[in-house]
Amino acid sequence: MKKYLIALGLIALFLVVFIPFASNEPDGLEKVAENLGVEEHEPAWKGLMHDYSTGLVEDPFLSTLLAGIFGTVLVLIVTIVLVKVTAKKPSASKTVLKES
Amino acid sequence: MHIPDGFINPEIAIVMFIVAIGFLVLAWKKVRQTYSSSFASVIGISSAFIFAAQMINYPIALGTSGHLVGGTFLAVLLGPWAGMLSMTIVLLMQALFFADGGLMAFGANAFNMAIIGALSFYVVKYMNRNPNSIKSFASSVFAASWLSVVVGAIACAVQIGLSSMFANAGGIVVTIPAMLSWHIIIGIGEGAITMSLLVALKRLNPSVIGGLLMLKAKKVQP
Repeated sequence: MKKYLIALGLIALFLVVFIPFASNEPDGLEKVAENLGVEEHEPAWKGLMHDYSTGLVEDPFLSTLLAGIFGTVLVLIVTIVLVKVTAKKPSASKTVLKES
Repeated sequence: MHIPDGFINPEIAIVMFIVAIGFLVLAWKKVRQTYSSSFASVIGISSAFIFAAQMINYPIALGTSGHLVGGTFLAVLLGPWAGMLSMTIVLLMQALFFADGGLMAFGANAFNMAIIGALSFYVVKYMNRNPNSIKSFASSVFAASWLSVVVGAIACAVQIGLSSMFANAGGIVVTIPAMLSWHIIIGIGEGAITMSLLVALKRLNPSVIGGLLMLKAKKVQP
């Protein structure tokens, strides 16, 4: 549990440091679409937090930070559960790779 | 490079779903066979970090930005099959909760970023002939991650170029050079970030680079 909290703390710190510098310009694909006059429709499914903003707080920095932390925790939990379900129990077989 | 819904035709979306599911089933089987569940924390923390890193767009030129994809990073750190699965989880959460990348386009996005990204592992494997040299490792990681973005962008350009939304704009003859022109630059960012991260990790603790450990283990037992 401790290693997860440390990891989440470090990732949160990474977001705090880098979100203010993140570019809001369109990415490569969005730019190509823009230049070719192809418009992105409003998505049918907007997700909980469209464009990584929570809607809970006004401040754009905090809003993005909260969305980022939510997503980070979500990815962490889903991945761990999936790997625990998929992978073998430790020492189940000699061919199994072990974390060194 | 996340394709939103509406950009690609349903039949292309379906074909990409089938191709992606094929690779993911294979990845699932490989992970089942070769990984112990004690890997869960390393895989979980690396995917969580890649999710956060993908949120940070860096400006490249002319009002355009890019962000780390992280496919090569995960593949070299975790091995190609675990890397493929963990990147797919990142993309799935982005599509489900943040509407970053469409749901219909999910198969295409998984192919362009998770699968191509994970397969770039074999570029590192092929190029990194001298496992003890940091230089050889660094340059092969740079080349693999640059390629993963450029090949992913070509795949994306083909998918959108064959779709009706981009038909009026000229189709693939236009979308391929357009996507390439941005992504050969974005790929340099991908290469530089992936290289710095992996070289730092390798210096810190060479044994964390599980993907390369896997290669060595295979070479010892033919």
